[in-house]
Amino acid sequence: MSIAGPILEARDLTKRYALGQTTVDALRGVSLTVQPGEFVALMGASGSGKSTLLHLLGGLDRPTSGEVILGGETISDLDDDAATRLRRDRTGFVFQFFNLIPLLDASENIGLPFTIAGQDPRRGEAADRIRDVLGLVDLAGKERHRPDQLSAGEQQRVAIARALVNRPDIVLADEPTGNLDFTTGGEILEALWRSCAQRGQTIVLVTHDAKAAAYADRVEVVQDGVIRDEIVLGRRSDHAASPLIARLAQLGL
Amino acid sequence: MTGLDRLAWRSLWARPLRTTLSVIGIALGVAVLFAALATNAGIEAGIGRTVDDVMGRSDLRVGAFEEHGLSQASLVAIRATPGVAVAAPLLEQRTYLQRDPLATSAASADAYLAPVAVIALDPAIDGAVGGIHEVRLAAGLGLPSGRDAEALVPAAFAHDLGLELGGSVTLLGVNGPVSFKVVGLLAGKGPDPTTGERTIIVPLAASAALFGPRGVSWVDVTLAGSYTVDGVAAALDQRLTFEPYVLSDRADLAATLQASTAGFQAMTALIAAVTLFGGAFLIFNTLSMTLSERVREIGLLRAAGASRRQIQRLVFCQALVLGVAGSILGLLLGFGLSILIAGTVGSLGEGVPIDGPVVPLPGVVLAAVIGLLVTFAAALEPAIQAGRISPIEALRPPVAGRSSIASQMRWLVAVVVTVGVAGLALWPIGLGPAGSGADPGATIARPLLVYAVLLGVTLLTPLILGPLGRLAGLPFALFLPAETRLSRGSLARDRKRTALTVGALTIGLAMIVALGSLAGNARAATEAWLTDVIPGDLVATSIRPISADEGVAQQLAAVGGVARVSPIARFAVAFRGVRLDAAAVSGSDLATDGRLTFVAGERRAALTALDAGGSTIVPRAIADEFGLQVGDTLQFPVGGGEAVAERIVGIVARGMPGQSGEAVLLGWPDATGRFGVLGADAFAIRFAPNRATDAGPTLAATARGLALEPTPLAGIEGAISDAFGRVFGLFDALALLAVVIAGLGIVNTLTMNVYERVREIGILRAVGLSRRQVWRMVVVEAGIMGVVGAFLGCLAGVVLGFALGGVAGLGWASGAPTIPWLTIGLAAAFGIGIAMLAAFQPARIASRISIVRAVQFE
Repeated sequence: MSIAGPILEARDLTKRYALGQTTVDALRGVSLTVQPGEFVALMGASGSGKSTLLHLLGGLDRPTSGEVILGGETISDLDDDAATRLRRDRTGFVFQFFNLIPLLDASENIGLPFTIAGQDPRRGEAADRIRDVLGLVDLAGKERHRPDQLSAGEQQRVAIARALVNRPDIVLADEPTGNLDFTTGGEILEALWRSCAQRGQTIVLVTHDAKAAAYADRVEVVQDGVIRDEIVLGRRSDHAASPLIARLAQLGL
Repeated sequence: MTGLDRLAWRSLWARPLRTTLSVIGIALGVAVLFAALATNAGIEAGIGRTVDDVMGRSDLRVGAFEEHGLSQASLVAIRATPGVAVAAPLLEQRTYLQRDPLATSAASADAYLAPVAVIALDPAIDGAVGGIHEVRLAAGLGLPSGRDAEALVPAAFAHDLGLELGGSVTLLGVNGPVSFKVVGLLAGKGPDPTTGERTIIVPLAASAALFGPRGVSWVDVTLAGSYTVDGVAAALDQRLTFEPYVLSDRADLAATLQASTAGFQAMTALIAAVTLFGGAFLIFNTLSMTLSERVREIGLLRAAGASRRQIQRLVFCQALVLGVAGSILGLLLGFGLSILIAGTVGSLGEGVPIDGPVVPLPGVVLAAVIGLLVTFAAALEPAIQAGRISPIEALRPPVAGRSSIASQMRWLVAVVVTVGVAGLALWPIGLGPAGSGADPGATIARPLLVYAVLLGVTLLTPLILGPLGRLAGLPFALFLPAETRLSRGSLARDRKRTALTVGALTIGLAMIVALGSLAGNARAATEAWLTDVIPGDLVATSIRPISADEGVAQQLAAVGGVARVSPIARFAVAFRGVRLDAAAVSGSDLATDGRLTFVAGERRAALTALDAGGSTIVPRAIADEFGLQVGDTLQFPVGGGEAVAERIVGIVARGMPGQSGEAVLLGWPDATGRFGVLGADAFAIRFAPNRATDAGPTLAATARGLALEPTPLAGIEGAISDAFGRVFGLFDALALLAVVIAGLGIVNTLTMNVYERVREIGILRAVGLSRRQVWRMVVVEAGIMGVVGAFLGCLAGVVLGFALGGVAGLGWASGAPTIPWLTIGLAAAFGIGIAMLAAFQPARIASRISIVRAVQFE
């Protein structure tokens, strides 16, 4: 989709939860824009509100106030059917835990959006796209492996391939390396970065890890439900974390 | 209560839906078991009461064998026999009412159609307070004169007939209508409960006007002082030489009634056993599921220092709570259910005597103990598996299906066999002392056979679940391909759980189909029986014997369109000390009409010999019972120390229907010349081809003009079919409870599947599956289970129907097995429907899963 201006825009988002007798303000007036093809990281400590923000950006949850605009369309007040179509056609998700259907093999897991839409993922363009993303995440030859026959990193790459297969406007990844060792985590981030660099895929990554955030073009630091700071790193192929770490240190984070 | 015991309690409390379903599952099993016990105990008590009602205060009954009854000489001889204190003669005859259109309302017209039983007694010695047969009056005076044309009518029957005290009731007599003045209304049914409410009591002296001069049907005797039944019976044998008779005492009558209810009692026991089987499935499945859900929790407890024994105790504690709650609820439900069953059974009329359910204390204990036993047996395997969970499991991601299918199925076999054998062994004890008369062998054979078939199907289920599930999914895949694909995957996730769930549904449906098959067989056998032996399209019955020289048969045959009129008389003969039904028939008519299926002997020769005399044709059932063969000579005593010899010339598949079974066939020369039969009491009338419709009304009018009541064969078959319908309808209702239990099992399994897949459903929703699609996915999952269960259930039901049809002892349900297609269709639709209905709540839960919470859920 070619749109002039931001692909994603959040305007003054708040999110309030009831927790027993008290209420918790998870987000308190967050505004954010993401440009097409941009890789943005939302960084913050546990409980800072970064995952809540990601859920609102992807239409998984509704804000208490404010709005989210994706590709020029407000998605924060969609009814359930429209939100479902949005998730199926225009967004892709990668979660921290392995998020695969254990009974389906890698290829079938990747083809889920097609299956759900009533298409046969084994035929036509769907099959081509699955082959394409399998190559992108470096899993060619493992199409028929079930999740329990894949390593943790491979499973997460299947999840990335699934998120990419529908060529969504935006991929939202919530701590995709949180459960992985350093090397495997690196492979996942490489895969995400490649999709961004080679295919122009817009990505929003949530992480608490500076090394992961260093893959992004821009890092938004979330703290206590607000965006505390923005650190622009630019498109870099070395993904060195030191400039980001230095900047965070300057901020006292 | 230790800390862990409290944990068991809290764990059940935390999962209210599953706990409730499990308790209801056990409760329904216990309820049906208890209801069956209470009903059967009620029947036993009903038998005792019926014996009291029939025999009154008498100790012995001298019954007439012959049509013309016991003579005055016999009555005098009985009274003169030492040891006889009181001898009360009774005459019982069937006749028809005559309605006076001017005196009675049109609304009561229907009540006049069916025959009535007239009981004639001697009011001087009987039929009052203190007599042998006590007659309780609701209004009026009784029979004060003892000889006038006065009648007592049950108050309810009088109401139906539109009769009032002081009014007049007209009965059809041998010489035309006779009117009786209604001088009293009875509080109950009358002195003979086997005749039902349609009874009219008249003085013996006044009965001659109705039925002509004839002997009494029986004489009831009370014994004096220290005389014994055997002693007086021996003395009567010496003195009664005037005509054949049969002696029966209270024990004989009880045995006869027990034999007539044995099939019914066995069937209720069988259904109870099967329902409990379903209940065992549910509890086994529930505890296994709870365990697989709590593997990590138990791992944590183990890591925190809990011993294997403590963990096992935890599981047993839960089972105990479920078992006790289920058993208590089951006993309460069972009592309510037994009242409903007793009401239905009571409305069946003469067949099964029951006033209401009787709560046998041993039955209460047995039902509760079996409920607990089933729960504990089902908990054994999950408890052992729980004890084997290592602390390390707490650190691993959850895995489905801890134990192999083979090991679970082995346990299932053990559970079912243990519970089945224990239940069956304890069954007679549960009925209480009254139940000791039932034949335990016959009762146990059928449940064992049923258990074996059901267990076989259950064991087969996991093996064929895969291919069958794929086939069952095809119709759903046509409309909902995505949902069907996801559903099939989910069912394949834990094959043993799916197999157990499908197994419970299979069992319930198998019982419904098997009962349908049995009912169909019984109806078909009855219809085939009548068609096979009655040489006519309708039967005209008479209340008095019509001798050949009266020309009645000729008058009937003269009606245009009538091809043949064949006289039939039903009477009784004595053979080897027991009463046998006999029928006088015309061999040539049977030969011409092509009736009777010969299994031994040459057809034409046998029927010719029958008309020649000195020959008899016996039904196969009687030949088998007494070990008779063609060529054997039977000796029938006829009084005065004499006996009539009849040679068997043929054995037929079915004989004429008699009073209490099939009748041996004798020719008319023997019946009138040697057995004292006075004439025909029925005529089988065959119409010429295609003349039944136009000749029917004329024939009916002619028959009624001759004081005969015409009944088409189809009408007799229809009445029998109705009776079967009511009995089997009751059984079906009980079997439906087994399907309801299966439905609960499906709710349980699907809910569990949904809870286990919270994250997975979350992912599917995140990827774009709509709420409706999630909902449909769960419903399709249930639908596939329903289709598989329906297929296997119907298959097992047909096998069971064939197998049960072949087991001896189901007299009313034997015959060539048929496949009950209608029942199969209904059962399959019901099974699939209840499965999909059961999916409603789990589907609702699944469709409401929050994506955000699901993806955070680990």
